[in-house]
Amino acid sequence: MLIDPKKCIGCGLCLAYCPVKAISLVRGKAGIDPDRCLECGNCIRLKVVNCPGEAIYEPAGIYETPRAIRRVLSDPTTTHSITKVPGRGTEEVKTNDVTGRVCRGEVGIAVEMGRPCLGTSMEDVEKVTTALAPLGVTFEECNPLTLIMADRGKGLFDPYYRKERVASAIIEFSAEEADLEKILRVLQEVAPQIHTVFSLDVIGCYDGNGVLPLKARLKALGIAPRVNAKVNLGLGVPYVIEKEEREKRRVVR
Amino acid sequence: MTHSLHRRGTPESLKNDYVLLVTAATNINHQGAREKLLKVLDIVWDVGPANIGSYDAGTILAGYDIGDIKAALNEVPRVRCSFSSQAKIKEAVRRIHALKLGMSVTVEGPTEDIEEMCREMGIQPHSVNLSLDIWGKREELPKEEILEFTTMCGHGLISPYLVEKAIAEVRQGRKTPRQAAAMIGKPCVCGIFNPDRAEDLLAKYTSGC
Repeated sequence: MLIDPKKCIGCGLCLAYCPVKAISLVRGKAGIDPDRCLECGNCIRLKVVNCPGEAIYEPAGIYETPRAIRRVLSDPTTTHSITKVPGRGTEEVKTNDVTGRVCRGEVGIAVEMGRPCLGTSMEDVEKVTTALAPLGVTFEECNPLTLIMADRGKGLFDPYYRKERVASAIIEFSAEEADLEKILRVLQEVAPQIHTVFSLDVIGCYDGNGVLPLKARLKALGIAPRVNAKVNLGLGVPYVIEKEEREKRRVVR
Repeated sequence: MTHSLHRRGTPESLKNDYVLLVTAATNINHQGAREKLLKVLDIVWDVGPANIGSYDAGTILAGYDIGDIKAALNEVPRVRCSFSSQAKIKEAVRRIHALKLGMSVTVEGPTEDIEEMCREMGIQPHSVNLSLDIWGKREELPKEEILEFTTMCGHGLISPYLVEKAIAEVRQGRKTPRQAAAMIGKPCVCGIFNPDRAEDLLAKYTSGC
């Protein structure tokens, strides 16, 4: 985003709304630091800042530059053209009862790079993806991050985007539940090497008795999930929870 | 992916904070879903959400109304809202369940309370997304009190500086906790920010000033 100094009245209203403090007042005019700005769109969104001078604008041609990835991964109102999902990842557990992305005996992992609050460089994202890739993980196809990988087998991104920063980038993949320990070990090793934070999600399925086997596995690893979580109630149709059902459906398609 | 499972706070503070997400899946059941989700919006609105919105319309906190939200439901529709009591989330789920719409329904909140709610209603939950907390350079993060507000936006659009400003304005008597909560919640575009919880937190962090 940019601010037209001729229109800016210097009220400073926009400053606090920027999640990464990219806006500052200099000699009575607001300006945006392009390196810090993640193109999240907060400052231009209707009924949020409501710039009195209508001075904030999105420069033309941003989608023809590497900054496009800032827009796609930072502004949740941009809907991905292929996945038709707004935001930065898939619908993960939210539609898992019909996608069967994670079935019984599997885990879904999401490494939410840059969240909360700090944002992330694509270089830091790549540190994590390249650490995970040797485990043989298959990065989620329907995730915009995966689509900009130059080498999925090695977890490398297209160098065109490597110098960019984004509000968040979600590394998503599924694995066998038995592989959870080695995945967590890799994440423990790489976490101190990055210059930001990540929030870590793990998805598991309930068994037929409403018991979550994942809880016991995490407990055995000495990991306690936080008290709140997102529970898919299983009301979606067509329902799928066994791997065999999912594979049959893939064959039919 | 909404970040709602990472809402931070004490168990006490999270006890009455629920997010309801009703979602159609692209290329699986999104065709005809718009009409179904209009029914869900009617139920949710009738039960009384703390906040509701959509990526396409905006939220009631930002000044949009339920008519705007309904009109903006797109080809792969989704309903996003928050509730401030266990009784309300139960009522919303009970009524949506009864309609048998075949849409995916996900609830964020205290895990054990949601599991208990499912048992009471005879619902067999499918899967859960658990939060394994924050890893990496945690020392760079804002204070935990600030994160309690910012993590109520699933997309990280609430600036920690806006929260600091809101707290300062309440302390100075320039805003009530309710007004400050509404200001903080405006950037959350999908409507899962809970202004009732934010108001309680603001009152807590500014009491005695």
